[in-house]
Amino acid sequence: MTAEKRRWRNSLVWRVTGNSVLLSLGIIWLVGSALLSQISTGIFNEKLNNSISDSETSARSIEVQIAVAQFQNDAAVKKSVDQMISIASLNGATAGREIALLHFPVVKPVTNNLERTSNLLSPASVPDSLRTLVRTKTGSHWEKTKIRYLGGKVEDGIAVGSRIEIPRAGTYELYFLYQLNSQANTVNLIRTSLWFTGLALLILIGLVTWLVIRQVVIPIREAAEIAEQLSAGDLGRRMEVHGENEIARLGSSFNEMALSMQQQISRLENLSRLQQRFVSDVSHELRTPLTTIRMASEVINASRGSFNSKVARSAELLIAQIDRFERLLADLLEVSRFDAEAAVMVTEPVDIIQLLKRTVDYLHPSRDKIIHIYSPLEPVIIDADSRRIERIFRNLITNALDHCDGKPIDITIVESEDAVAIGVRDYGIGFQEKDSARLFDRFWRADPARARVRGGTGLGLSIALEDAKLHHGTLEAWGRLRRGAHFVLTIPKSAGVEMASHPIPVLPPSELSPILIEAEDEEL
Amino acid sequence: MTLIMVVDDDQDLAEMLGIVLTGAGFEVDLVNRGDEVMDLFRAQIPDLVLLDVMLPGINGNEVARLIREESMVPIVMLTAKGDTHDVVLGLEAGADDYMVKPFNPSELVARIKTRLRRVISETAGGLKIGDIAIDQLAHSIMREGKVIPLTRLEFDLLVALAKEPGRVFTREALLNEVWGYRHATDTRLVNVHVQRLRSKVETDPENPELIVTVRGVGYKAGVPGSKEQ
Repeated sequence: MTAEKRRWRNSLVWRVTGNSVLLSLGIIWLVGSALLSQISTGIFNEKLNNSISDSETSARSIEVQIAVAQFQNDAAVKKSVDQMISIASLNGATAGREIALLHFPVVKPVTNNLERTSNLLSPASVPDSLRTLVRTKTGSHWEKTKIRYLGGKVEDGIAVGSRIEIPRAGTYELYFLYQLNSQANTVNLIRTSLWFTGLALLILIGLVTWLVIRQVVIPIREAAEIAEQLSAGDLGRRMEVHGENEIARLGSSFNEMALSMQQQISRLENLSRLQQRFVSDVSHELRTPLTTIRMASEVINASRGSFNSKVARSAELLIAQIDRFERLLADLLEVSRFDAEAAVMVTEPVDIIQLLKRTVDYLHPSRDKIIHIYSPLEPVIIDADSRRIERIFRNLITNALDHCDGKPIDITIVESEDAVAIGVRDYGIGFQEKDSARLFDRFWRADPARARVRGGTGLGLSIALEDAKLHHGTLEAWGRLRRGAHFVLTIPKSAGVEMASHPIPVLPPSELSPILIEAEDEEL
Repeated sequence: MTLIMVVDDDQDLAEMLGIVLTGAGFEVDLVNRGDEVMDLFRAQIPDLVLLDVMLPGINGNEVARLIREESMVPIVMLTAKGDTHDVVLGLEAGADDYMVKPFNPSELVARIKTRLRRVISETAGGLKIGDIAIDQLAHSIMREGKVIPLTRLEFDLLVALAKEPGRVFTREALLNEVWGYRHATDTRLVNVHVQRLRSKVETDPENPELIVTVRGVGYKAGVPGSKEQ
């Protein structure tokens, strides 16, 4: 049902065809009905006129016969009337005419009942209203009626009646009843053929509309499909152009649009590819001299003891800055890899808890442990790129250590059916709510004046976000000034599968009540 | 004296490597072109080759393959790219280890020393893994009396697993024990070498029985035939 509805709504061809069929149905119905009623009225009127003239002729001929006949006695009257009626009824049998001679029920008492009907016709076939009319007014009268037979048969018909004087018997009513069978059959035949004609017409109209609309719609549909393919990235698609009509113009201007779009996009792509290549090449080219510098500095630093204090300090600074330069270069290269969409995932089963513990041990091996890990006891094994996940951990934990102000850091691991979430919560300097969107921007720092207190490159969080995205995961951040920050990494358990759940909400539970208390304080 | 062949097209870096390595007590042979390596290699076979990837003549991966065709000498690649693809190419060509530029010289020396060390345990000679006999003194392994040639690293990897048959080694533990890494999670190194080792020692490398993967954890020495029962 819904599929039908959708099809109706989605397809112009079906809708237009349907509408035109519906409209045609209405028109055909009206025209057909009018035609049928006119034809049947005409047929009926013709039959009526025939019937009236026939009944008048027949009645006159009976009157003449009666007038001519010499009636000796009642029996002779009866015999002769019988004869006349049966002759008349024989004459009319083929035309479906029946005769009824009924007694005029007034004045003199009936001595000789001459009431007759032909062919077992029931006298009730003559309607009372017609009889009243015949009795009260002279001349012939007619009315529509049902012709009833004593056997129970009923036919539609017309009754025409007049008075007749019979010597020695008095006044009688003479009725001629005409069956309308053949007329009804004719009307039925016409009705049936009208039905069939209408139906055939309707189908033809539907078919023609469908064909015509298809001619118009098919190029439009083709254009829509090609537009979809274009927007999906297949920039080489073009419409076929035939002839010089409006559709052809649509096609050629569509193709022009696609061409200019393709040129524009490939120009931009080239530019960005060049730029990414450049960044990547520069990074690579920088690495070889940097290696030499690095080794030289280590050699110099190794014999630091024999230098005076200024030179020794310089050697230390040199080493430290080379380290920083190296990290920056590595991050820059990673970023250029993401920009070039050249980052490759190598997934394998990893125990995320082990990985986290190892990273924490590496980054923060000191005795006074400020990092607390809350994790399930069982290993949580997921399909992931361990190098990238470790890098996310390293970036998040380094970031937390840089901003924790010496306060503890809580790391939580919670797993659900399809995902695992790692929350890194610190209670240090935090950041303003408005900054949470810019946090993952490259080289962005919350407070420029305080920048570069620690060794971060300014690319860590941005790379972490890219790594999370590569896993089809999310990396969210919550933070308030001086109340700390909460970073939540959520990744699907099977690589690349969309996850339905987020086991850890980014708003830390501990923050739900303190906000209320503070709000109340402000009001007071 | 231990001879190290340094192959790098950058003159300054090669010289610097020479200074650092001679300082660490090695003898150094400098080569600048990839296509010159094999002649010099055959003239005087070094104890270890330090090989840059981007070289004029033949590239480093190709050089590694040529060396592997005739020698099991340890090869450490020096690469400017840390991309998985580049690293795996080098390892598959036969390199034992790699270092991404810019590297720490002391770490380089430590790695070289790990690659050169000869571990001789007290129980020398008695190790077995499946139907393979390991002779630690001769540094060779045999199946049914036939010697299977292994690189020193592959040998060390096999010995590490065979020494503790029940233990499941994480990749990190293997990196530590065999490669001398600390705090490293570069599982590519382990994965590629386990593949290479399997292709040499397993009867059916597709269904390994000697070096078994423990999902999500690492590897362990397997007992052939036990899995099927």
